[in-house]
Amino acid sequence: MTSGRRTHTMRVMVIVKADAASEAGAMPTEQLLTEMGNFNEELVKAGVMLDGEGLKPSSEGKRVQFSGERRTVVDGPFAETKELVAGYWIWRVGSMDEAVEWAKKCPNPMGAGGELEIRPIQEMEDFGEEFTAEARAQEERLRAELAERRGGQE
Amino acid sequence: MRFMLIRKADACTEAEDLASFELVEAMTKYNDELVKAGAMLDGAGLKPSAQGARVQFTDGTPTVIDGPFADTKELIAGYTLIQARSLGEALEWVKRWPTLDGDGNVTIEVRPLYEDADFEPGGSQVRAS
Repeated sequence: MTSGRRTHTMRVMVIVKADAASEAGAMPTEQLLTEMGNFNEELVKAGVMLDGEGLKPSSEGKRVQFSGERRTVVDGPFAETKELVAGYWIWRVGSMDEAVEWAKKCPNPMGAGGELEIRPIQEMEDFGEEFTAEARAQEERLRAELAERRGGQE
Repeated sequence: MRFMLIRKADACTEAEDLASFELVEAMTKYNDELVKAGAMLDGAGLKPSAQGARVQFTDGTPTVIDGPFADTKELIAGYTLIQARSLGEALEWVKRWPTLDGDGNVTIEVRPLYEDADFEPGGSQVRAS
């Protein structure tokens, strides 16, 4: 696939899956914070890191279920702890293989263990004729406006 | 406060049925409203989990598992990061999610992000031993 700005690059979302400790709101140990800090620095230096954040436990979140005209709000916490999101990165990489190699270098995300899920992001180029020139122009304008607000970080 | 709106997956997003012209238009309009209100921070759609991978760490050893993954409805199809004054305000944005998406049958999970203030002394977080 190709990207409009650079050839042969793609973006991936790397999802840090939750566990009982993250769902309890426990902070990582100082050692893990240090190791993660070093890993993040490597990602930045390699030009891979675009974004990354931690999510509060699902007990502080909600779900909105849509069914026709109905909107049902369900309070957290949610079951299936290991399927929930505890944090994420957005990386720019050359391939899925490169993303996997970076993920393998990550310190155990949850201390003793943990799981990362790597998912390629849909780029405008992945859309066919459904994405009209008009919609494409609007998307580009929105992205430019966002980048400007962030102080041209991207 | 910042919130992640997680669009949960369904059979269609996992099958990579590309969005219709009408849905693309509706989502772009919705995103445009978020941008104009100064609420939008970022957002993207994810390709089906069949094109993804998981890395499991056990005692420091990584194991790679190729997608697709089960539990379709627990997977993520896309995300939108927004800025809002409260969880209530974030929920108001969610309720205006385009009804064309998923033919009106979708689940959006709203999750507050950790902010720097949460890690300061007296913040909301406790440190694991």
